[in-house]
Amino acid sequence: MVIDFNTLYNFPSRFDRVFEDFFKPPMGNDRRLAYPPLNLSNDDDNVYVRAELPGIDIEDIELTLTDKTLVLKGERGAPQGKYYRQERPSGVFHRVVNVSVPIDRDNVTATMVDGILTVTLPKSEEIKPRSINIEIA
Amino acid sequence: MSEVKKIDKGLPRYRPATDIIEREDGFHIYMDLPGVKREALSIDLQEDELIVTGRVELDQGGKEHFVEMQFGDCEYVRSISITDIVDRERIKANLEGGVLELHLPKVEKTQPRRIEITTG
Repeated sequence: MVIDFNTLYNFPSRFDRVFEDFFKPPMGNDRRLAYPPLNLSNDDDNVYVRAELPGIDIEDIELTLTDKTLVLKGERGAPQGKYYRQERPSGVFHRVVNVSVPIDRDNVTATMVDGILTVTLPKSEEIKPRSINIEIA
Repeated sequence: MSEVKKIDKGLPRYRPATDIIEREDGFHIYMDLPGVKREALSIDLQEDELIVTGRVELDQGGKEHFVEMQFGDCEYVRSISITDIVDRERIKANLEGGVLELHLPKVEKTQPRRIEITTG
């Protein structure tokens, strides 16, 4: 599982290497999902779209908000050199998220922290739950 | 979070996606560690093993209702064997935007040398 640069020191009694086979790589096997992986959530005020995009500048991500969708587009380059192992995905990515609730389009924000993109889409005022006072005459 | 299997009570563990590249100036290792902060990352060099451990604890507010969850809190663990030609003293690590870059320079080339043969 691990690249061996060395041929001299390769102890077969490596317990952690045996266990390592059980650690699934995040992008492999049963997690073969569209790239990038997304978390979609909402609370009373906002809809949140989060994506794992390590190593990508926020300027290089194209976010488009249409009537009912949020489109995430970009390209991930690969470093140059002689590869011994290449597991990190590279190339163009494109994901479309359906947003079914009306959005306050002017106040949409996007931040990138430690390789995780968070897009906050505020729900528009008219659909927010509100309490109505009932006056008893 | 159906696809994330819990190991014991701890966080799910993953092997981070890793690129290993050789260039003129040595080896470069790139690891995708999205969500890992500098304080939550440790790199240990034990003899010929470089072990990278990172922890992700996302503050994904408790009030939110999740419709889809494809990533979450987890622990990244990866060990890499290191060859003898790597200069252990000059290994550099840099974490930026969720990517760890390790630079492993090679030891200065030893000059080819002829071995003297003595006769008893």
